[in-house]
This record gives sequence, structure tokens and C-alpha cells, in this order.
Amino acid sequence: MANRSKNKQQKRVRSLMPRSQMPLRTLMVSMTVMCYLACLAIGALVLITRAVNDWSSEIAGEVTVQVRPSDDVKMSEKLTVIAAILDKTAGVSSYEILDKQAGAKLLEPWLGNADILDQLPVPRLVAVSIDQKALPDFVLLESELKAKVTGASLDTHRRWQAELTRMGDSLVWLGVGVLILITASAIALVIFASRTALDANRQVVEVLHLVGASDPFIARQVQWQFLRAGLQSGLAGVLVGMATFVLLGISSGGPASSGLADASYGLLIGAPEVTSVTYLLFLLVPIVATFLCLVAARLAILRILSNAD
Amino acid sequence: MSRTSAIVSLQNVGLRYGKGREVLRDVNLDLEAGSFHFLTGPSGAGKTSLLRLLFLTKKPTRGLISMFGQDMATLSRRNLPKIRRRIGVVFQDFRLLDHLTTYENIALPLRVAGQKPKDYRDNVHELLNWVGLADYADVYPPVLSGGEKQRVAIARAVITQPDLLLADEPTGNVDPAMALRLLRLFAELNKFGTTIIIATHDSHLIAKAKRPVLMLNDGQVEHR
Repeated sequence: MANRSKNKQQKRVRSLMPRSQMPLRTLMVSMTVMCYLACLAIGALVLITRAVNDWSSEIAGEVTVQVRPSDDVKMSEKLTVIAAILDKTAGVSSYEILDKQAGAKLLEPWLGNADILDQLPVPRLVAVSIDQKALPDFVLLESELKAKVTGASLDTHRRWQAELTRMGDSLVWLGVGVLILITASAIALVIFASRTALDANRQVVEVLHLVGASDPFIARQVQWQFLRAGLQSGLAGVLVGMATFVLLGISSGGPASSGLADASYGLLIGAPEVTSVTYLLFLLVPIVATFLCLVAARLAILRILSNAD
Repeated sequence: MSRTSAIVSLQNVGLRYGKGREVLRDVNLDLEAGSFHFLTGPSGAGKTSLLRLLFLTKKPTRGLISMFGQDMATLSRRNLPKIRRRIGVVFQDFRLLDHLTTYENIALPLRVAGQKPKDYRDNVHELLNWVGLADYADVYPPVLSGGEKQRVAIARAVITQPDLLLADEPTGNVDPAMALRLLRLFAELNKFGTTIIIATHDSHLIAKAKRPVLMLNDGQVEHR
């Protein structure tokens, strides 16, 4: 019997703090919710950043030449001069002169589909695609257009681009703020759970102190259990978060659908350059949760123990 | 007694709880390294309070305590565990950890000191044999009798062969034969250099041991 018990003892080195007396289940549920919220915030951040980048590059890849009708020169002549200028301008990839109907269609939302458009001096538009690697000299192009064509002007969309970037930046900062709040709440949770763990194991802590345990030794008995709880919560939160985005994506008909569903689907099952960023950021959630549980628990316990006497 | 060889020295020590009366008054005590004393006195005389001061769970309200040549008033919290590892304590209420087996409770001070299980396993089993609990290694304290718990508490206190052993009524829950056996264990430990203080009411045990007695009466210590 003695030998059997020797062998049993040989195999196991039990934690000195009983798991059953620690609030690990409550901590795990709360941390899983925090990690899930963090995943949603990260997903939203990636979606916003992607959308702003896509819209900005679309806007940045095109400029518009607008020419107003005048009595002295025919519109067709003006458009021919504009075409000639664009042909010889370096950095212009292509251009398309929109016909009168196309221009009128753009005004339909404000003026309706009425014959009145034929009687109005509706400007003509030329959509110009530009080479983003070798941008044309917009100042020179605009001055040449104005000098050679009466009523011509150049719209580079820079104002819209700036507005869009500003809005995108604001949303990104909002997302970062939400992530900071989630982290702060998680830290508060871990501190509270550490205090509860020590309170529940007051007698164990007292005995450990009396047999010569240092505060860092006692902290180690708790922190590794918190670390495991953090890792499990992080993984659970991320899995549920990823499932949410996949469900959002497939609930509206898969990749062929549009809007939020399409974007959500693209987050995880889209192009590798997007999904790799998403997966990397999602992977950070359990890593941060684990590290946070370990460090916050250790610091909290050391502080509580040093203030106990 | 030479003060320079004193492992424990108390000078004019007083202790009171809150705003109550002093439970210990002007206690002066020098314990030489390797000495063996009984601490006795009527109930409420302050035996447990004096032991609390010696195993460093209480600080005196006045006076100086020096242990192993260090002034306890200036001892930092960081260095406290090093001193405590040199002291073995047997509590009147045992203070065993219910979620650990008998074996694990006894091995606790060694584990805390950072020793590896394979290095202490044989020592723990040898001690389990000594205290008559070889078959109880995997048993948890809640199912042990009072006497068995007491023996586990004693084994835990002596496993590290401490420089100082403080025992509060260590034979209070065992039969006379086991009490004598435990006394022999303490004497054996004392031979190897451990300074021992046993607080007890057991006059029979004191008479058998023929060791010096510290009589605590109304908060003051008399040597007998």
C-alpha cells in the first residue's frame, strides 16, 4: 500500500489553491463575453477601414472635367478641345465623354424625368481615369482647360476624399475607444476575481505564509489558473465572434449578396490579403486575454497580500 | 545564559489586543540554540499569544524581539519567509489544508521551499511511518481523527528539521503512549540542534521529559 501511494504521489503535484474555491467559472463567462465584444469591435474596425480605403481609392482614381454651355462656342467644339488636352496630358489613363442623357440622368434625383432638362443649360461631364502611380499635374491641367475652353473646370474630388477619410478616422478612433473600454473592464474583472479567490482561500493563504511561502509564491498558485481561464475564454470568445461574422455573411445568401453581409463574409472567407489581417487580429484576442489575466491577477494578488498586514 | 548565543530574545515585550489589557507584560526571555523548553501556565495566561509573537503572526505592542540574530521590528516583508522557513509550528487547531492529502500536507513546507518531489518523497514517507500514519498518505484531513490530524500537523512542522520548533498543545489529542512517542520525536529533533518550545498543560509529559519550564503567569514569564 505504501508503494502504491508513493507512486500516486510521484505522478501528481496538485495546485495549492483549490480550483473549486476560485471564481473561475464566473471569470471565464465574463471574459468570454469581453473577448466576444472585442472580436465584434475588431471586425467592425476592419470593415470600416476596408470600406473607407475602397471608396477613397475609387474617388482618387478618377477626376471629372465639367464644361458649361455658352453661346459663343458649340459644345462639340469644346469637347474636342478638352479631348485633345486630355490626350496629351501625362498621367491620364483614359477618359469618357458622358453624353447629354448621362448628365441628365445624374440630375434626375433632383429634377425628375422631365423634358425641362432639354431646355436647361446642363453642363457636360468628362470622366477621366488617372494613373495613380504617376498622377497628372492637376494645377497645370486645370489652368490649361480654363484657358482654352470657356466654362470648363476640373473637379479632383479631393474635398470628398478628405471628408471620407475624416469620417473613417473618427469611426476607427471610436472602435479603438471601445476596445480600450473592453480591456479596462476585463482588467477590473480580473482584479475583482483575484480578490474573491484570495478571500475564499484565506485559510490556505495563512497556512502558506506560516510555512514560509513568499507573496510571489502565493501569487503563482493563483495566476496560472487565471492564465488558463484567460486562454480558454479568449479562444471561446473568438470562436463565437468568428461564427457571428460567418452567420452574418451566409444568412443573406453568401458571397453573392451585398452590403454588410457581403463585407462580413469577406472578412473571414474572402481574399487572403483581407482575411489574413482579420485572422491575425482575432488571434491577438486570446493572446491579450491570457496575458492580461496573468499579469493583472499577479499584480492584484501581490498588492492585496502586501496590504493585508 | 549568554545573549550572543540566543536564537530567540525578547526584551520587555508587551502585547495587547486592541484597547484591551496587556496579555503579555515585560516579557524577557533568551532561548539558547539547541535548548528544549516547556511553556506552561493557567488558561488565559498568554501562552498562545507568546507563541504568536514567536511565529511572527503578531507584532508586540512594545519591546524588542530578536530571532536568529535579526531584529524583527526592522525585518522587511520580503525577508519574512526566510525566517519563517527556519521555524516549524504545530497549531492547537492543526491548520491542515483539507484539499491536500496527508502526504501533501506534510510535504507542504518542502514544496514551498522549492524542493522537487523526488527529493523529499522518501523523507515524507519515513516521517509518515514515524508518526504511525504510513497507511494514511492518500487520505484527506476531514476523514482523520483529532489525534491523527495532530500527528500530521507535527510531521508538517518537523519535516524541514527547523532551527526552532514551536508547538501549541501538540499532545492534546493523542493517547499517553503516542504522546510519549511524539515526545521522543521532539527529543530526537532537539539532539540534531533544533530549539524546541512546547506549550502544554500536560504536567505528566513535563515531568517525564525533565526539561526546563517557562511558567507564564498573568502575562509574565518565570523560569523554573
